[in-house]
Parts: sequence; C-alpha cells; structure tokens
Amino acid sequence: MSEDIIRIRDLSTRFFTAEGQVNAVSDLELTIERGEVFGIVGESGSGKSVTALSVMDLVESPGEITGGSIEYRNPAFADAIRDTHPDAVDGELVDLLAIPRETRQSLRGTSFSMVFQDPESSFNPTLTVGEQLAEAVEVQRRASANPRSTRARTNRSRYSLGSYVLSTVLPSQRYVTDESRNRAVELLELVGIPDPVERADEYPYEYSGGMLQRAMIAQALAGEPDVLIADEPTTALDVTIQAQILDLLSDLQEETGMTILLITHNLGVVAWMCDRVGVMYAGEIVERGQLEDVFDRPTHPYTKGLLGSVPDLEGAGGRLQPIPGNVPSLLDREMPDRCYFADRCPKAMDECLEHPPEFDVEGSDEHAAKCYLAEVEYTESRALPADYFELKDASETDERPVAADDEEPHRTGSGTGQETETTPAGDGSTSGSGGDSE
Amino acid sequence: MSIGKFLVRRILQGVFVIWGVVTILFGLRAVSPGDPATLMLGEGATQELVEHVREEEGLNEPIYAQYVDYLQGLVVGDFGYSWQSNRDVEAMVIERVPATVELAVAATIVAVLIAVPLGVISATRRNQPTDYGATLFSLLGISTPNFWLGLMLILVFGVWFGIPHPTLETSPASLAGISVPYPRSVGYSFFDFPTGRRAVGFSEAFVAVVRDRSFSELGVWLQYIALPAITLGTYFTALITRLTRSGMIDELGKPYVTATRAKGLPAVLIRYKHVLRNTMIPIVTVLGLQMGTLMGGAVITETVFNWPGLGLRLIDALHMRDWPLMQGIIVFIAVAFVVINIVVDGLYTYLNPQVSDE
Amino acid sequence: MISERVKSNLKGTFSESILPKIGLFLLVSIVFMAVFAPVLATHDPTRTGYFTEHGTEYPPIGHEFTTQVAQEGEFAEVTVESSSEHVLGTNNVGQDVYSRFVYGARVSILVAIMATTLALLIGVPVGLTAGYYGGRVDDALMRIADTMLAFPALVLALALIGVFGESPVQVPDPIVMAGFADGMPETIPLPGTVTIVSALVIWVWFARVARGEALSLRNQEYVKASKSFGMSDRQILLKHVLPNSLTPIIVLATIQVAVIILLEASLAYLGFSGTTLSWGYEIERGQDILRTRPWVSILPGIGIMLAVISVNLLGDWFRDALDPNIEGSERGA
Repeated sequence: MSEDIIRIRDLSTRFFTAEGQVNAVSDLELTIERGEVFGIVGESGSGKSVTALSVMDLVESPGEITGGSIEYRNPAFADAIRDTHPDAVDGELVDLLAIPRETRQSLRGTSFSMVFQDPESSFNPTLTVGEQLAEAVEVQRRASANPRSTRARTNRSRYSLGSYVLSTVLPSQRYVTDESRNRAVELLELVGIPDPVERADEYPYEYSGGMLQRAMIAQALAGEPDVLIADEPTTALDVTIQAQILDLLSDLQEETGMTILLITHNLGVVAWMCDRVGVMYAGEIVERGQLEDVFDRPTHPYTKGLLGSVPDLEGAGGRLQPIPGNVPSLLDREMPDRCYFADRCPKAMDECLEHPPEFDVEGSDEHAAKCYLAEVEYTESRALPADYFELKDASETDERPVAADDEEPHRTGSGTGQETETTPAGDGSTSGSGGDSE
Repeated sequence: MSIGKFLVRRILQGVFVIWGVVTILFGLRAVSPGDPATLMLGEGATQELVEHVREEEGLNEPIYAQYVDYLQGLVVGDFGYSWQSNRDVEAMVIERVPATVELAVAATIVAVLIAVPLGVISATRRNQPTDYGATLFSLLGISTPNFWLGLMLILVFGVWFGIPHPTLETSPASLAGISVPYPRSVGYSFFDFPTGRRAVGFSEAFVAVVRDRSFSELGVWLQYIALPAITLGTYFTALITRLTRSGMIDELGKPYVTATRAKGLPAVLIRYKHVLRNTMIPIVTVLGLQMGTLMGGAVITETVFNWPGLGLRLIDALHMRDWPLMQGIIVFIAVAFVVINIVVDGLYTYLNPQVSDE
Repeated sequence: MISERVKSNLKGTFSESILPKIGLFLLVSIVFMAVFAPVLATHDPTRTGYFTEHGTEYPPIGHEFTTQVAQEGEFAEVTVESSSEHVLGTNNVGQDVYSRFVYGARVSILVAIMATTLALLIGVPVGLTAGYYGGRVDDALMRIADTMLAFPALVLALALIGVFGESPVQVPDPIVMAGFADGMPETIPLPGTVTIVSALVIWVWFARVARGEALSLRNQEYVKASKSFGMSDRQILLKHVLPNSLTPIIVLATIQVAVIILLEASLAYLGFSGTTLSWGYEIERGQDILRTRPWVSILPGIGIMLAVISVNLLGDWFRDALDPNIEGSERGA
C-alpha cells in the first residue's frame, strides 16, 4: 500500500501514583500508514487514550513516557532536525522521543491534532468558539510564516508573556488576527455549521453537542495536520448525531487525504470507518490487522469476546455475551508475569501462565495476535481448571489485603481526561471485594 | 437578561439591604442603654437642660416617628449631628473617607500584585520549593491577627532595624521608654487633630508630582502608608494566593486545557489567556464578599497606626457612645460594600458569558 | 452520617501530607494547655505587682534590658536582669506573662467553641428549613443574609457590644475547685457578650450553606420517595436532609472557629471584650512599651497565630478530604 507515517515501537507510558506504578501503556507496537484510518479498539482502562496522548505528547505528571520510540515521517521536518539531532533522524523518519520537548511540541496542531471525547468540556467556556478556532489557525499561520528551517522548528519564536501583557492594551499585539478569524469562519462552514459568521461569535454553551463536536473537528483541521487523532469522537453524542459526525470525518478524510487514528470502544464505529484495526488490552495491542481479517477471523480470544459482546441484530441468536471478569489492574505490582487475559480467557492453557506472549507475525500489514493460540491449537487437556484464578485470588487477598478504598480519591484531580484510562480497571477489580469477579 | 435589567434588580436589592442595615442600627440604638440627651450633654447637665434637649431633638416622640424622621433625613443625605462634637455627621464621615480609601486601595493593589503571580507560580510548580514557600506564607498570612502584625512590623523595622519611620519617630511610648498611660496607639499621628487633615494625602502628593514635578510629597506619602498597607494587605495577599493556587490547579485539570495544548497554542497564552482568566472569574466574586473583611481590617489597622480614617473615627464614636456618628459611619460602609458588590457582580457577568445570557 | 468513605478519605489525606499532622498536634497541645491551665501556670495570672527591685518588669529568661529609673531625684541607667521565677517575664502591671499566656488559651478556645456551637444551633435549622420549604421563608432568609453580610463582621460585633455592654461572665474553674491547683483564681472571666455576638455575626454563613444543601437535597429522588411514603417534613429534615448536609457544615464550622479566634482577639485588642485575661488584650497592654519590653506583646500574638494555624490546617484537611465546595469557606475575621 503506501508508506508508514507513524511507527511506534515498544512505547511504554507509566503513571507514578501514590499506590504505585501504573503501566498504562506497555511495549506498544503500532504502525500507521499515510492516508488510512486506523482504529484502536478496547474497553475503557485498556490504555487507548494514553496511547493517543503519548503521540501528542500530552501525557502529564504523574504520567511519563518511559521508553520506546515514536517515529514520524516528514521529510522537511527530518531535514530541519538532522543537523542538531542526527541520532533522532533515520531517513525521513524522526524519533519524536529523541528530540527536545520544545521541538516536539511544535508539531502539535500542525502535524498532529486531536478531537476529544467530550466537546462541551473541551472548549474553554468563556471564549467564543470563533476565537478558539482562530487561535488554532494562528498556530498554523505562524508556523508556516517561518520557513521550515532548523531555526524555525527547533527554536520557534514563542509568544511571550511580554507580548501578552502588551496585548491587553495594544490590539495589534493580540495573538489572534482578523485573518485567522476569517479563516475560522471558513472552517466552521467547512464542517457544516449553518450561519458560520454569527455562530463564530457564540460561546460553547450556545452550541448543541453535535455542533460543538463539528466545531472541534474544524479546530483540529485548522492546522492542516498530517494525522488527526480522534479519541472517542462520538461517545458523548446522541446516536443520530454520531452518524453525522462519522460521515463528516470520512468526507473530510477523503477530501484532504489525512491520516486518522480513531480510538473507540465501539466496534460499530470501527467497522464503519477503519481500514485497519488494533485491539488493545491491558496497555498493549493484542491483535492487529486489516479490518476484515480481525473482524471476520479473530485469533485472540479477547477479540472474539469483544465481537461476541456486540448484539448482532441480523443474526438469529442475537444474544449479548459479556466477557466474564473485569478489566485487569494496571498497577505494576499487580500485573502478573503471564498473559494478562488468561484469567478471563475461556481457552487459557498452561502456556499462558509463563510469559506475556509476543506477536506471532512481524510486519505491520499482517494479521497478527499476541496469543499462543495463534501458533498452537487449543487442547482441552492443557486447559486450566475453570476456577484456577478464583482460588488463586482468594488465597492472595487473604495474605495481602489490597488498600481498597484509598485508590480512587488520589487519582481524581491528577488527570486531564486520562483518569478513566489510568484508573486500573475502573472500580471493579481492585477496589471491589472478591465477590465482584464473577 | 440584559445588563440594564440586571443592574436595576441588583440596585433594588442593594437599596433593600441598606434599608435593613439602617433599620437594624436604629433598633440597636433604641434598645441601647443610656439616655441620648445625657450622653450629648455630659453627666453634669441639669434636668431642665436635659428635658429641653429631649424636646428639641424629638426624643420624646414615639419611636416610630423618630424612625421615620431618621429615614427621611437619610434620604436627603442628612445623617444628623454628632452627639459629641455637634458637627454634621456627613461631614465627619466624608473628611475621613480619603484616608481609608487610600489605605484599602493600597492594600488591595499590593495584595493583587504579589498574590496573583505567586499563586500562578505555586500552581504551575507544584510541590517545588517555591510552592512550599508560597503555601507556608499564605498559611501564616491568613492566620496572623493583623493588629499584632502591625505591631511586629513597627518593632522589627522601627526598633530593631532602626529604620526611621514616621509612625515611630515621635511615638510617645518610644520617647519615654517607661510605661505611663498614653493615648491608645503606638503610631504617630501625622495629621492635624483640630482640622482633621493629614499633612500629606495621596491627592496632594499626586498634584505635587503632576504640577510641580516634585516627588518628595509622594515619597512622604509612601513612607506613611507602607506599613499600614502591608499590615492590612497581608491577609488578602495570603488569601488571594491560596485562592489563585487552588483555582488554577482545578482549572489546569480541566479537559479544555488539554484540548488547548493539543492545538499547539503557546504555553503563555494557555496559562494566562485561558487558565488564569477563568480562575480569576470566581475569585473576583469572593473578593467582593471579602470587602467586609477588608473594612474590618481597616478599623484595626487604623487603630494600630493612628491612621486618620473612618475606622479610627468609628472606634472613637463607639467609645463615646456617639450613636449618630456610629450609625453614619456603618451605613456608609454598608453602602460602599453594596456598591462594590454590584460592580463586582457586573464584572462577573461581563467576564462570564453564560451568566449574562441566562 | 459519617460514612466509611468519608473516614477513609480523611485517613488518606491525613497520611499523605504532614500539614494535617502538624495541625492536629498544635490543636491538641493548645486544648491541653487550655484545660490544664491552672496546673500549668506558675503564678496566679491575675495577680499584679511582680516587679523587680527597680520597680520595672522582669524580662524573659536569658534577656536583660537597660532602662532609666528615678533614683534620689535623678534618672539613672540600670540593667534589669531576668528571674527564674518568671520564665517569660512580667508585663507592665507586674503580672506573670507565662501564666497569662497559658490562661489566654482558655478564653480563646472556649469562646471559639461556644460561639461556633451557638451559630450552628441558630444557622443550621434556619438554613435547612428555608432551603427545604423554599418560597417566602427562603426569600426572607436570603435578604436577611445579604443584610448581615453588608456589615463587616468586626463592625457588627462592635455595634452589638455597644448595645449589650461588655459583661464578662465569671465561670468557676473545676480544676481549682477540686483542689488540684492552689493559689489559682477560682473563676475565670469569659467574655459573654463577645461569645453571643460572634455567634450572631457568623450564623448567616451556616444558614447559607445549610440552605444550599437542603435546596439540592429536596429534589433528590429518595427525599421525594420518602415524601410519597407519607413521611412528615420534619422527619425528612431530620432523617435525610440534616445527615446529608453535615459534611460541608463541619468543614465550615472548622473554618469559622479560626474566624472567631481572630474576632475575639481583635475585640479584646480594641478594648471591647470585657475580659482582661485574653491574648488580644495582652497585646494591647504591651503595645505602649513595645520598644523596650516587646515580649509582653510578642508572646500572646504567637499564641493566637498558632491556634488559628492549627484550626486552619484541620480545616484544609477536612476540605481536601471531603471536598464540599462551599462558598464562604475562605473567610477570615
């Protein structure tokens, strides 16, 4: 097909909380090709959003990217970086984790941009939508006004506190210009907002949820990014609106040819939108491949479980089959040295207790899974007893009572939208009593 | 709701509040012990004279008639006469307003200039030495009684460091060095008691700078106001630091901040145009309500430094049981409080689009 | 009432930071000092006349000062030494500073606790009723609250004291009565007016918070359900509304204790308290001799500061743990 635009290798993002280290993303491998729609699908708490934030470099304390590489293909950028950081550049690829933070952050808006889950809380409530869009336009305008020289990229002239203070007196010092304002109105029109001129002067609360999500997509497009990351873009919206937003995204993708990384827990959305898909579980991608391969011929029991949990309206036996158990804890000390899915897996075998499995096939285009079943046949004789983990859990909780209720209050407030993802397993698995698990 | 309608409603509410304050004060005066005529004339007055004054002042009228009289007077700006000095209460209030306003404004400016940057630094460098320092400072600041702080400032700067300071130079206590009964104040009164005027007020200093290009008056004024302003301002500095820090931390955790970062906006703009602005909106209303505390603090500060403002006059009036003067001052303070809060609410409405539209 | 979740939150916040520990330690020390003042004091705090041979005050131990005294018609310079009898020196009427410092804690703590309790007893029922029933009662309360807020707390207190006088109340001291501390005063003067006035000044804050809670609780499903079961309004108020609004009220009460300690000290400093055994009064007494005998004013100020810090730290702890998000919680004297 075409060339890869983002290549993530062994990415690990950890959160260092009071309870211990949380492995939100572990050894993640992911390759996204130019112009495709790649879907990451998984339950909440599987590390999907943290993956997105890691690419955007928006992981905040106590979170930290602890290892791996995120390579981004951009010839101009590679040329600009090569002189100062030759180690980070490999052909047209630049390892974003090997360049200074400042430089990496200059890619926001212009190379990568993001659409968030909840449009209502993702806009500043006290500024007009037009103003906020104009800011995004201005970011791009100023970046491209400077020729893409090394200097411009690595040592971008920053908007200083001095000019901000001046702007309160001198309108000419304002960050946003008339030009960017006009462009903001065009963008609103582009995403199908009626009366864009008037609506640009309205505040976020005056918009409906769907309209606001359109505005956010417009804002994400303002910098003409190479990659648009959409983190659960339709989850907060009504079902009818969801379809419109997805249509809008597909149309825009066709027009501009941009790459989309779509993060969702909704398999329907994936099936509709994506070319390729990665299934995430416990901070890693456990199965990946072309949409048809993964959806029609899933290898990993987790993927099968996910697909089984979707009510199939057309099929005769349209019954919802939930995956038993809860999302696993991502606390480092609670993560066992085995396949993380084994305790919920209907086909767990002795091998699954040894090491977390690796992908069976290398190569981004291939259909691959991190599961022994990809290589060996399931044999009844090697299967674990049905109550194996229950017995094990019971004996463990007796010895070492987990500080149950303490978990939740500390984590709230630390986050910027990633709470749900960092909270290991929501409330169930760690904080609940033993009785929760079945 | 339009701004006009909003203003009309708030002003009506304000008038109601002022009426409440006036009524409560009048009620208190009516039940307070002591015969006004005797208080006016002093203990030695003859019965005849007392009776004459009672008649003259309408004190023999039924209480509701007196109340109506008093209200009528207030409406046309007549606050009555001071029992002690027999002067117009309005005049006695107005002449003391500039000193108190100067003190309060200076304290507020000092507080805002120090506290907002300190709160921002504290919030953006959490759990670093600066943050611990700011937290400790604000804890001490809100916990220190300001009269004691004033005395300690005088002690440290004036006595221990020996920095010449007008509030100390001719303090009776410092001259004598032994305890004798003195007027209840350490401060040196730098205003002329008979005329009730200060040697240098801000207006004089300002005029001198603008007209004569002379900065010496301004220097004197600054010298006078420095310690009182710090004394009054410390609590507010501490309070605003705390509010800014916690508000900023809350605000920084909101999803829109991440979204704004994602679009690549410079950090300065995120921090000031988005986060600080949104943090300050609720703080402004808290500060409006804190104006009462500021006035209370001014009473104390003026007492410590013998600062010739409304607070000092209020304390005098209380000691003398001079009810008309006391009422006049308190009503004035209440009016100021109400007006400031209407302005603050207007500002809040202006800054917060959602409120102004509902 | 106080749920398990609240308890574990409190515990979690307590173990996380050193500040609540300092606060609790300070508060326990000050309360201990207040309760056992007669035992801890070395002298009768009200007894005057502990002067040196030169007729001056004693400086604290380890300090000395020079002053001029009249000798045979002339002024002579003498150096005044400290005495081990008076650890922290004596004040300008010859009272033992340490003993008065210890006793000062009593007045501060007692006034603060009694006034806060009184304010709770007035404010909470009024606020809950107003919020629960709404309508005219509620409107009236809000207007009264607005009016009260237009008075600076200190100014309103001063005006009320002007009316009611300063009447100190002599409270018998159980420890002295039981004979554990001979030579200590059998009663201590509590500023009665100040206590009542402080309560009258701050009850509005409790009423406002209680009202807000009741207002949001009355629309809760379980309250509506209780109503449909035929529970009377009184029962609902007591069984559902009151217990569920306790958290913010407790946090506010903690903060208001600090407010009252400062208010009491300010009133005593201004000479309107009626008691002479108070930290605030002691500071006022020392200010005339600040230049040469600063210890008289310094120590009681530190007492006030530590008491307020301890309560503020506890207030911060409660607030962080319980997160009630109430208005008026950031309010000083």
